[in-house]
Amino acid sequence: MSFETIIELEELARYYEMGGVTIKALDGVTIQIRRSEYVSIVGPSGSGKTTLFNMIGGLDRPTRGRVYIDGVDVSRLDAYELAWLRCRKIGYIFQTFNLIQVLTAIENVALPTVFAGVPRDEGLERAEKLLSSVGLSERLHHRPTELSAGQQQRVAIARAMANDPAIILADEPTGNLDLNTGMEIIDLLHGLNKTRGMTLIAATHDLKMIKASDRIVWMRDGKIEKIERG
Amino acid sequence: MSERDSVSRVQFKLDDALRLGYDYIKRRLDRATINIASIALGISFLSTLMLTDAFYRAYALAGGGRLSVETYQYWLMFVALVVSVVGVTNAMLIAVYERYREIGTMKCLGAMDSHILLLFLVESSIQGTIGGVLGFILGIIGALLSTGFTTGFDIILKVPLAEILLLFVGSTVLSIILSIVATMYPAFRAAKLNPVEALSYEL
Repeated sequence: MSFETIIELEELARYYEMGGVTIKALDGVTIQIRRSEYVSIVGPSGSGKTTLFNMIGGLDRPTRGRVYIDGVDVSRLDAYELAWLRCRKIGYIFQTFNLIQVLTAIENVALPTVFAGVPRDEGLERAEKLLSSVGLSERLHHRPTELSAGQQQRVAIARAMANDPAIILADEPTGNLDLNTGMEIIDLLHGLNKTRGMTLIAATHDLKMIKASDRIVWMRDGKIEKIERG
Repeated sequence: MSERDSVSRVQFKLDDALRLGYDYIKRRLDRATINIASIALGISFLSTLMLTDAFYRAYALAGGGRLSVETYQYWLMFVALVVSVVGVTNAMLIAVYERYREIGTMKCLGAMDSHILLLFLVESSIQGTIGGVLGFILGIIGALLSTGFTTGFDIILKVPLAEILLLFVGSTVLSIILSIVATMYPAFRAAKLNPVEALSYEL
């Protein structure tokens, strides 16, 4: 079970045209990621990390190559199925947290369940449990502006797990946090990966985050430079 | 997908949209107030004229002189309504820019284009309803002020209640329709946003 491939990228490339110049954001990336694996993606900015994430999340279409999630070719999905994928299969965590400012913590966490058609009471109940599990049971009805950066990222993590996704994509999750808060977030994500068996893919510069992972993928100029065991 | 059947369960119910729309209005009250005021002023102009006309007819029926609303006043009203629609469109466009990131985030969380569209349209319907009711109340005051000194302020009691109710419902419905029309373009832009671009957008 744990050796089953959940994500497979096959010669994945994404080119952009910018003022007549072709920018190769991704240029032939091939990798297989196992279920429950914790993979860190490391590389300088512009190395293609975010583009890679967008591809896995079905937010962007490849110029060539394939993305398979659970054996399904993502580029063949229609808008409805893509929304389903983002809603149910994948949880996003952003560097800038990206909480909805008008909603409270619990409402933010419940939002993906709203899009998934879960009844409101059930969604809120789930959100409450998730917030407790990230240590925020006292902050359910606070708005993002009333929370510290670390707390906001915890809310975002709880939100990413709202529909119990198989994959968590975290784009520089500790990038906007101080050292200690960053450590807490890493421990939290690592714990979720271990206890819930969620596949965790994190783009990061954070050495502590890299150390905790099963594999480290080094990227440069849209290509995989090397892959190391953690 | 293995659970292909449950694809149909990516959805966004109207009550959820209403709740979220309400939250947006409550928390971003400044912009909502501008929209509501804009719609309310247009509608108040409209209902002032309609009610004035109704008051004049009741006055004539009760044996007073024949008075009527001038054609140019209807033209002014038309212009006022156009101005208020354009004002709402403008304010909603800015609201879309303000929320680029949030729209991108929602799409990452599984929102479809239609969900985003619904969210904006619901929000503008709420604003249209409030604007319509306020506008009508202002319209009653306006009509009384413009006619009361000649017809007497009790003229409003001589107009059949059904007629006033009809005007109220009519102007509120028109207010909602105008509000939705004004939000169409901004809402479509929001719905069609590419999440990748929306997420990297810095305001």
